[in-house]
Amino acid sequence: MQDYLTLLKLKKLPTTWCPGCGNGLVVKALAQAMHELKMNKHNTVIVSGIGCNGRSAGYFNLESIHTLHGRAIPVAEGIKTANPKLNVIVLSGDGDLLAIGGNHLLHASRRKTNITVICVNNRIYGMTGGQASPTTPLNAKTASTPFGNEFPEIDVQPVVLANNNLYARSTVYHFDHLKQVIKKALLDKEFSFVEVMSNCYQGYGKKAGYMHPYEIIMDFKKNYNMSRSHKKELKKNEIGFVKK
Amino acid sequence: MKLTNGNTAIVLGALKAGCRLFAGYPITPASSILEEISATKIKVMQMEDEIASINCAIGASLAGVKSMTATSGPGFSLMQEAIGYSNMIEVPLVIVDVQRVGPATGMPTKPSQGDIMQSRFGSHGDYCPLVFYPNSVEELYKYTIKAFNNAEIGEMPVVLLSDAFLANLYETVNLDDNIEIKKRKLKPLGKAARHITGLAHQRNSPKPQSPKEYRSFIDRIFKKTYVTAKENNDYEFSGKKNSDTLIVSYGCVSRFLSDLKNKYAFFRPIRIWPFLKKELGLIAKNYKKVVVVEMNNGQYRHEVERVIRKRLFFFRVLGGEIDIKKIEKNIEKLKCKTTSLYSN
Repeated sequence: MQDYLTLLKLKKLPTTWCPGCGNGLVVKALAQAMHELKMNKHNTVIVSGIGCNGRSAGYFNLESIHTLHGRAIPVAEGIKTANPKLNVIVLSGDGDLLAIGGNHLLHASRRKTNITVICVNNRIYGMTGGQASPTTPLNAKTASTPFGNEFPEIDVQPVVLANNNLYARSTVYHFDHLKQVIKKALLDKEFSFVEVMSNCYQGYGKKAGYMHPYEIIMDFKKNYNMSRSHKKELKKNEIGFVKK
Repeated sequence: MKLTNGNTAIVLGALKAGCRLFAGYPITPASSILEEISATKIKVMQMEDEIASINCAIGASLAGVKSMTATSGPGFSLMQEAIGYSNMIEVPLVIVDVQRVGPATGMPTKPSQGDIMQSRFGSHGDYCPLVFYPNSVEELYKYTIKAFNNAEIGEMPVVLLSDAFLANLYETVNLDDNIEIKKRKLKPLGKAARHITGLAHQRNSPKPQSPKEYRSFIDRIFKKTYVTAKENNDYEFSGKKNSDTLIVSYGCVSRFLSDLKNKYAFFRPIRIWPFLKKELGLIAKNYKKVVVVEMNNGQYRHEVERVIRKRLFFFRVLGGEIDIKKIEKNIEKLKCKTTSLYSN
């Protein structure tokens, strides 16, 4: 049962993240999914960008690459093209993949490179101190938007589905579901994208009025429903996966 | 022997050196490298921009294949962050910069030497690049191979400068088969559990808070480049006993001035960075007047001035156009004043 721990560098624990952060759950879910699919350091590479979640690559007992801000996807594409036998996983945050690296996401999705992108969406730039990111909701107060966010959040689902790639969404509350959709994405033979709704209490939750990280996670339970269809687009408050 | 142009010579060199992946983005005057290389067995990734191109090449190089990218000035500027990154993670890589007139879009079809300082100091932080700037089609072929070999020896990015003039110049190239090709030493991905990071690190473990380990890292990468560069003290020098004037120029300008070799001493650095301090210092001692001619508003001249420790005469060539007669006339008129002279 604990065998998946061989995929992690336990010596490096505790992690650098704040207490209550969702990143650790994503690392655990990914490690368990990889273990169940018999992925190991001989056939798998993890690539991450910059940010809180960018540091997660370092906790895996695999070849891990901590790239420049936003450039995880092109590096992953280079690795996959040079050595197609490797499973290449990109694990990074929303600011890294959707803001500075948005262009690369658009084109990797178009090229259908066989990589799995796991985007941990905590709706904020956590590492730099809680500035608004492209996924920050409209009117949310953050360090850089003290009067409320002027712009609506980005919806990445149509970008991925436009090229008939696999899009999956889950949250850190629905741990088993998260593991299943990550497995689904890792088994996919084309470009696949998993958006994991995560929580950032220090950077986002505090200003949004939450008293405890636990409350944000319980909100995920309350707000997100399981989607039964795999052919239709996911609604805003649905978790599941779509492959047209 | 083959009649070919500068860009194709780079492609032939890459093929010879064992390059297996090229990532690029179309840009004048480097586009024909992308076009020509697509017709070879080298895998080509046409990316969405230059940033993605160099990062893709870095990824491929980490995965164990020799890779390169080619661009011009504007693209080279976009690549700078990743050049610093590849110095930090010590990955072999070849970057070709076919220079055009800048800044910004500038004059896309005209040659220039405006990226001399960018190739030295372009990325943030301290690093020591290895840069070659050949001046003929055959040299472009040879130095492409040399760039790949040195990238493997030093496990670092190597920049090969060219310009819009050399890119479109047709010359015969001797496709010499006796050049030794260095094999990859660096372990490809999928063999261990390394953590490759752009953070300051020691033995694959991030150390962003340790000044001591950062200092030892910086010393190590500088030393590495100097050791690699030492084997490539490449320059061309033709002395003239009855002349007191030394002309320093490089790249395409050194070709235009080759007629002046009969009258004056002539020094042409091929390894642009690290600077050929000792070599030029010793040569310049024997000449009263040192003249630098380059296709920019004065970039390499400051470095030359710093090394020879006296004021020099400087002629700039701007806008990709050169008036050799004017330069010749001006060199004849030179008197040993202590001020710099501008022409053109």
